[in-house]
Amino acid sequence: MALLSVSDLNRLVRELLDAEPLLQGVMVQGEMANVRLHSSGHLYFSLRDAGASVRAVMFRGQARQLVFSPQDGMQVICAGRVSLYERDGSYQLYAEMLEPAGVGAEFLRLQQLKEKLQAEGLFSPERKRPLPLLPRRLGVVTSPTGAAIRDILSVARRRYPNLAVVVAPVQVQGPTAAAEIAAAITLLAEQGQVDVIVVGRGGGSQEDLAAFNQEEVARAVAGSPVPVVAAVGHETDTTLIDLVADRRAATPSAAAELAVPVVAELVAGLQMAVSQMQTALDHHLALAGRQVDAIVSRRVMSRPLTMLEAKQERTVRLEKDLGQATGRRLQEAKARLVEHSGRLAGLSPLAVLRRGFAVVEKEGKAVRDASGLRVGDRVRTRLQVGSFESQVERVES
Amino acid sequence: MTFEQSVQRLEEIVKQLEDGELALDASLALFEEGVALAKRCQGMLEEASGTIQRLIGDKVEPWPEGPHD
Repeated sequence: MALLSVSDLNRLVRELLDAEPLLQGVMVQGEMANVRLHSSGHLYFSLRDAGASVRAVMFRGQARQLVFSPQDGMQVICAGRVSLYERDGSYQLYAEMLEPAGVGAEFLRLQQLKEKLQAEGLFSPERKRPLPLLPRRLGVVTSPTGAAIRDILSVARRRYPNLAVVVAPVQVQGPTAAAEIAAAITLLAEQGQVDVIVVGRGGGSQEDLAAFNQEEVARAVAGSPVPVVAAVGHETDTTLIDLVADRRAATPSAAAELAVPVVAELVAGLQMAVSQMQTALDHHLALAGRQVDAIVSRRVMSRPLTMLEAKQERTVRLEKDLGQATGRRLQEAKARLVEHSGRLAGLSPLAVLRRGFAVVEKEGKAVRDASGLRVGDRVRTRLQVGSFESQVERVES
Repeated sequence: MTFEQSVQRLEEIVKQLEDGELALDASLALFEEGVALAKRCQGMLEEASGTIQRLIGDKVEPWPEGPHD
């Protein structure tokens, strides 16, 4: 017996398969699963039926010519040849032709289930509950041995060391998985005294995630009295539980991050609030202080008597000023009176007579113009003291 | 009052104080309320037990840390 390398073995098997005429032209019907269009343009998928599955690939050249977009759950008829993929030691179907053959049963079941639950309103945004800002107890439904529980516990511990966690261990795949998951959600919600539940598992193929596509799981999530975060690891496809859960995350770690707050941030937020209040109050006090200072520093408040004295002083000064002004005015008035009296005295006819002038009157009126006189008129002449009458002898005018 | 409600009230208080439109005695009263709330919230953060348990049937047991870590 010759000692073979793994490469030798795989090459040998491939050559055997390639030499078998029956396998060089086969036509297979099955349901597509794990459909992935690689960036290279090659189309990778599995074909399966109730009891088996086989890997398949369609190269870029043919894949580009497909008139439909292959999807998980589709029933297809695939023509091609069978060979071995030496790197993995797995045989696969090299598809040259691919045609839809009705819709796959599982795909159809899920589609109908989604439509039913949608009609019941189980996916509606109004049903989504906010997660508690601070959970006191976190419930986790997952496998006790998977990477998911480790990731969830370590994220939770890191973010909130004091957080209490209750794990309900379940099978996440296999025939009992869906029933176990549904029962665990109900149990945690009813007896775990938790205020948020994370349900999930790490990534897997479409078949591995089947439990999370079951109606009883969806209904347990919808019926949970506390919010549920779906944590089924996958990148593209959506499982049923994602649609029903209050929040969904792409990985169990991400789900833990949604469900568990960073407690240090909450503490910092509280401290920030206290210091903001302190600052605001200090500001208010300083403002009030300045207002009081402004009032107190006005003179009437700081030295009220001085103000009063100043007013008194002013009053006295005004009185004095008034007195002086009044006296001066009186004297001025007196002086003017004397002056006016003098002038008045000058205007008196008696004063004129005193200076030696005389007034000639004819019939009781002063004669100012000689032309008013006729020879023979009788006139009276008034002197300062006494008067005399005389007769006009000649008039010169 | 839940943690959420306390934090929400605390935020209102901070905002009202920062608006500065209150009388000084009202501000002081709010400040006292706010500090008390912050203390209570901090207390809630420390309250949780930090335990990890598993729930099987109706039995609650300590989580067997070792084998899974």
